[in-house]
Amino acid sequence: MIFGLYLCFVDYKSIGKEEIIYVGFDNFQAVLIDDIFINSITITFFYVTLSVSISFIFGFGLALILQQIKRGISIFHLIFIAPMAIAPPVVGLLWKWIYNPLFGLLNPILMFFGFPQQAPLASPDTALIAVLIADIWQWTSLVFLIMYAGISGLPKQPYEAAQIDGAGKIFIFYKITLPLLTPIIFVALVLRTVDAFRTFDLVNVMTAGGPALSTELLSLYVYRVAFKFFQLTQGVAAGHLMLIGVGIILGIYFKYLYKEL
Amino acid sequence: MKNFNKTSYIKIILIYLILIVASSFFILPMLAAFVTAFKPGPIQMSSPPIWIFEPTILNFEKVLFGKGGIYNLINSLIVTFFAVSISMCIGVPAAYSLARLEMRGRKQLLAWIISLRMIPPVVVALPFFVIITKTGLYDTYIGLIITYLTFSIPMVIWIMRGYFSKTPKLEEAAMIDGCSRLQALRKVLLPVAMPGLAATSLLVAMVAWNEYMLALILTGRNTATLPIATLRYVTRIRVEWGELFAMNLIIAVPVLLIAIIIRKHLVSGLTFGLVEQK
Repeated sequence: MIFGLYLCFVDYKSIGKEEIIYVGFDNFQAVLIDDIFINSITITFFYVTLSVSISFIFGFGLALILQQIKRGISIFHLIFIAPMAIAPPVVGLLWKWIYNPLFGLLNPILMFFGFPQQAPLASPDTALIAVLIADIWQWTSLVFLIMYAGISGLPKQPYEAAQIDGAGKIFIFYKITLPLLTPIIFVALVLRTVDAFRTFDLVNVMTAGGPALSTELLSLYVYRVAFKFFQLTQGVAAGHLMLIGVGIILGIYFKYLYKEL
Repeated sequence: MKNFNKTSYIKIILIYLILIVASSFFILPMLAAFVTAFKPGPIQMSSPPIWIFEPTILNFEKVLFGKGGIYNLINSLIVTFFAVSISMCIGVPAAYSLARLEMRGRKQLLAWIISLRMIPPVVVALPFFVIITKTGLYDTYIGLIITYLTFSIPMVIWIMRGYFSKTPKLEEAAMIDGCSRLQALRKVLLPVAMPGLAATSLLVAMVAWNEYMLALILTGRNTATLPIATLRYVTRIRVEWGELFAMNLIIAVPVLLIAIIIRKHLVSGLTFGLVEQK
């Protein structure tokens, strides 16, 4: 960590030589005036917001629905948590294959419903959404897992009391279920947000930031600047700017965490 | 009363319908990939997909023995094994002391440890890259294992801390009976904590096995792990989907099995003990 911070202020070409040139904030400046960096911030923001909110809604919904039935819970539970266990690069390749215009799964399905054929990963307009779908496919299961555990752990008494008092279902959900679940919802959201920020492997395998930089998330930007353009220290500086963003989320999280410990 | 029954039937059918649609959304891609891995060459790419064919394990043979996948498998196994065992050796005592001993700065230390998990891997990957190449550990097992410890030790500490703080203080009873603290730990607490230890190590193994970013940067020809080896089938002009999915199955199946085995512990592990499966 400290070594990383030190690298921010050093000129890359001088690493490994006797004299190390300190360049002050030049690395940060180089990053901040880079249009591609600004572009990737916008994309990351879009990606994180959509990925977290949609996967949360789906995961929470599935967890609520699964509570309603009595038979076959464990098999559905198993199916719903399976995507999470698969390595993200594998998931990325899987979806890359599904989206393949020639022999993927998507086009036969689209044709069956009468839609025109698509090649989602090839066009800058649809690539980000295509990647998002794969991301949501994988991480809905994490939200589901957390929320299902949370809902099963809820105490029974408030519900019985509410039923005796004749409260409606929607009323019970808003006034009992949601308040009791708040800490767990919070944990799920924070974990998802941080993970969405970190996303690298899935996107790198599927599009590697392209086409036309339309899926270049911050982590891909850092990777590309450092290892493809060999501006290592500039990459580190960008990485630390990214860390500030994560740090803000973490700060909120810790406030909550201290109460729990 | 009869009316009530009817609506509740419709409701249950509707719920099952939603569940089945949702699970097919989850399972269909996996199933299709699974099937493709067993398809012989020519029909892998037919559109619409052919579902009836003679299954073959040719793809697996090619991947493992024809193209050196077996070495990647061995690499993955070595790295995972050492990452797990070293982090358990360091993490479990640390978790114990954080759970039982009162000391100053305990909360701050725990928060610091959990923050290690939240850092985007790219941020640490670059300094690591410089350190590892300068110390000559690039493309060695040691280099990769050391970097894996940075996320596996915090995981072990957090999960086991939660576990220890929930188990009764058996070792203190043993200490009153005349054991030393270490004896009490070894003879009393560790046997009790065995299921937790097993689940934790499997969980860490799962994460290390799936790791991609650090392995991508820090491995070369000799130590490439399985997830990196999949890239071999994509960068070429023609993608060998059958072989690729055979490879993917080799990566995914052990992890899926682990996930099923430790299903009960999965939640508390992934949320660092903040949420429990009842």
